[in-house]
Amino acid sequence: MKTLITIITLLCLQFAIGQQNYNKGMSKAFELWKAQQTDEAANLFERIAGAEKENWIPFYYAAQIHIISTYNTKEGKEIESRLAKAQNLVNEAKTFSDNNAEVLVLEAMLNTAYVAYKPNVYGMKLSAKVEELYQQAKALEPNNPRAILYHAEWKMGSARFWGKDPKAFCPEVEKAILYFENAEEPKVPFYPHWGMKQVTRVQKICNQS
Amino acid sequence: MKFITTLILLMNLNLIWAQTTISGVVMDEANTPILGANVYLDGTYDGGSTDDNGTFEFETTETGAQTLIISFLSFETSSITDEVSHLSNLSIKLKEDVNSLGSVILNAGTFSAGDNSEAAVLTPLDIVTTAGAAGDYIGAFQTLPGTSTVAEDGRLFVRGGDANETNIYIDGLQVFQPFTPAANNLPTRGRFSPFLFKGTNFSTGGYSAEYGNALSSVLLLNTIDEPDEEKTEFQFINVGLGGGNTQKWGDNSLSINAFYLNLKPYQNIVDQRVDWIKPYESISGESVYRHQFNNGLLKVYGGFTYADFELNQQDINVPQGINFYLKNRNLYLNSSYRGDLGNDWSVSTGVSFANDNNGIRIEGMDVNNADNSFHAKLKLKKRYSNRFKINYGAEQYLTHYKETAANPDFEAFESQYTNNTTAVFTEANIFLSKKFAFQTGIRGAYHSVLEDYNISPRVSLAYKISENSQMSVAYGDFYQLPDQNVLQYETELEPSKASHYIANYLYQNNGRMFRAEAYYKTYQDLIKYSTEMPQFDSEYYSSGEGYAAGLDVFWRDDKSIPNLEYWITYSYLDTERDYQNFETRATPNFAAAHNLSVVGKYFKEDWKSLISATYNFASGRPYDNPNTSAFLAEKTKSYNSLNLSWAYLISPQKILYLSASNVLGADNIFNYQYSNTPDMNGQFSRSAIRQPADRFFIIGFFWTISDNKNDNQLDNL
Repeated sequence: MKTLITIITLLCLQFAIGQQNYNKGMSKAFELWKAQQTDEAANLFERIAGAEKENWIPFYYAAQIHIISTYNTKEGKEIESRLAKAQNLVNEAKTFSDNNAEVLVLEAMLNTAYVAYKPNVYGMKLSAKVEELYQQAKALEPNNPRAILYHAEWKMGSARFWGKDPKAFCPEVEKAILYFENAEEPKVPFYPHWGMKQVTRVQKICNQS
Repeated sequence: MKFITTLILLMNLNLIWAQTTISGVVMDEANTPILGANVYLDGTYDGGSTDDNGTFEFETTETGAQTLIISFLSFETSSITDEVSHLSNLSIKLKEDVNSLGSVILNAGTFSAGDNSEAAVLTPLDIVTTAGAAGDYIGAFQTLPGTSTVAEDGRLFVRGGDANETNIYIDGLQVFQPFTPAANNLPTRGRFSPFLFKGTNFSTGGYSAEYGNALSSVLLLNTIDEPDEEKTEFQFINVGLGGGNTQKWGDNSLSINAFYLNLKPYQNIVDQRVDWIKPYESISGESVYRHQFNNGLLKVYGGFTYADFELNQQDINVPQGINFYLKNRNLYLNSSYRGDLGNDWSVSTGVSFANDNNGIRIEGMDVNNADNSFHAKLKLKKRYSNRFKINYGAEQYLTHYKETAANPDFEAFESQYTNNTTAVFTEANIFLSKKFAFQTGIRGAYHSVLEDYNISPRVSLAYKISENSQMSVAYGDFYQLPDQNVLQYETELEPSKASHYIANYLYQNNGRMFRAEAYYKTYQDLIKYSTEMPQFDSEYYSSGEGYAAGLDVFWRDDKSIPNLEYWITYSYLDTERDYQNFETRATPNFAAAHNLSVVGKYFKEDWKSLISATYNFASGRPYDNPNTSAFLAEKTKSYNSLNLSWAYLISPQKILYLSASNVLGADNIFNYQYSNTPDMNGQFSRSAIRQPADRFFIIGFFWTISDNKNDNQLDNL
């Protein structure tokens, strides 16, 4: 009996230590990210993903860093290799969490990055896909503020392109803000919770007179 | 007490155990340090990133044998398995990933059109929007180098080869009748809707051992794997109307489309040189079903066309003209599967089947023919590493062709043939480095109709000279069966043979591409016959021969001028051949020495318009003048055509399209027909073979409705 208790305690302890490593690793990765050491952060997220197995969250952040990094470069080769890498990471995230609204929003952002990179090549081909991904994400989580905000931004972009008024989607942005404000603290540690800061950028169009 | 001791011991084990330092330096093959590589022990949290000097250092509590992983974007991931204590002061070299961007491309002879291939010269959209192509899948390829402008035919004439020397494949399986039927000297069109395809490879020579029975060229079309969304489409064009629908459910999707074409109303308005009795009318439908398995993808494609027309063909020897009626019914099925078998093996397999029936009436004589063709292919691919892959494949063709000719004055005459072709092939793809690659293959085929087998080697290699340029060369032997209209009368023949020698230079830099390719081609065992056309009583020989040599140049620039994309192609062709009923070796009528195309597309954003212009030039084409003793010695005047199109995007779902071919109205002459008998002065009189009309206009309205209702929100604003 004593042995059994020992084993169980040890297993729990082992698990707790594992969790502790995970929390420590993830926090460290976010620190690196904050300190603009984005590649180190992405590397660490990827390492955590490899060690954790079956956890989509570190894959999600590693992919997100690669996607965001392409916004600041004009180097075609870098953009394509980063986006290809991000796609692999998104695919990994999907195998561990199918039908996940957060991953779908990220995949829509990934495809949007392709469109932004070469509109004449990818615009026609991927626009429908981006739209479909946001629709799927919203169908799964109608109240997901990131899905609402980024979908609105995407729609504003295409409205501008078609010479329509992008402000038509401002109510959607308001809705996103509302859901951001009312969002509960996630129960799962490091569950995507970001996005409120992005509202200002998207709102700029709405505030123009 | 014991419990606590154990606990402390174990916690120590986990937390305070003696740490080992893992360190080293990561470099590329040229010993340049790599910054930002990810180095870690597999399955643990222990790791780090390399710094400016390529060095890394981290502590680990792991013990025993561990695997150290080193990975970096666009490099192959490397690993070292060893005792942790041995993993210090390592010197690691990463190899560049040959699948990543910037690797050498095996491209001699090949043009890719797709958006993921680096060698892509055309995007799928280009194919639809090229002025003059009029939405014909084949039309856009006629602006690529190596092709000859043969506007009265519409098919692909590649590097001195005639149109029968090009084979077309969908998802790796042959299409037996890719073109709609047409009368003599009237252009034909591809049967397929351009929107079904995601990528295309057009090889103008030296192609892979996977493909055979084509002397000059193969065109490989790949259908879309997964449609992006459910939608309904309508097309309203001045010559017809069509519609399509795509549905997705679970792992399945289905796309269907249908098109009705009738040239009558158009030809009532725009004068034609052709004396139509019943203008061209057709109804066609296509469907593609796709199913995604865990490890593979199944596609089933079916296409059906019914077409008919009747006209009175002008003929210098028959003043009242020749009455010609044709109806065609074509069914084509193609199903393919591609999937992973595990252990780096993958499989591509499929079958295609075509049933084609023509009912022809020429001046009261009825000619009916039926062609049943079948193709099955199995290809296995083993990927030993990123740098070494091998294909093994086998394929089987079955063809049965039967023709019956009947005339009230004589008994029905029947001719037919059956052929089974069995072929096997294997090909290795080897990257020695990111700079140097080669592919070598061999193909063996047996044709039952000729009782003949042949073996054809293929090889191509590519070397990257600098960051943006590369050289490649290719060699191959290619065999082809005699054409159907010969085989139906005579089977004691040899297959024709061509050998290709190709040297290619490619320069690519950020939206600009320059490509120059020189080639030399020999032809042997071409078919000759003793009459003007192949007939049941002709004599046939496999004694023809010839050559083709030339230079193809391509320049594409999407960068220099904002919103303008353009490409210029120039092809020089020197060819002579002795085949069919030629008196002697000569340049055939379809081969012009100089071909030039300039294609421009300008997107004017504030007009929401894509304006496209294509200019085609071809130097004079040879024709034979019986008033002189020389054979095929005279040349027509040069060919000129300026085509314009304008696509106006009314909204994301609605497009208005206008196009006009040959806007300047050049009176192009393709050939001359001479009378069989001389006139009073001993001269043979002639009539020119000209365009059926100087210009052709298309007005179309394309409307896509996404089933996803929100997508239409923009329209409701």
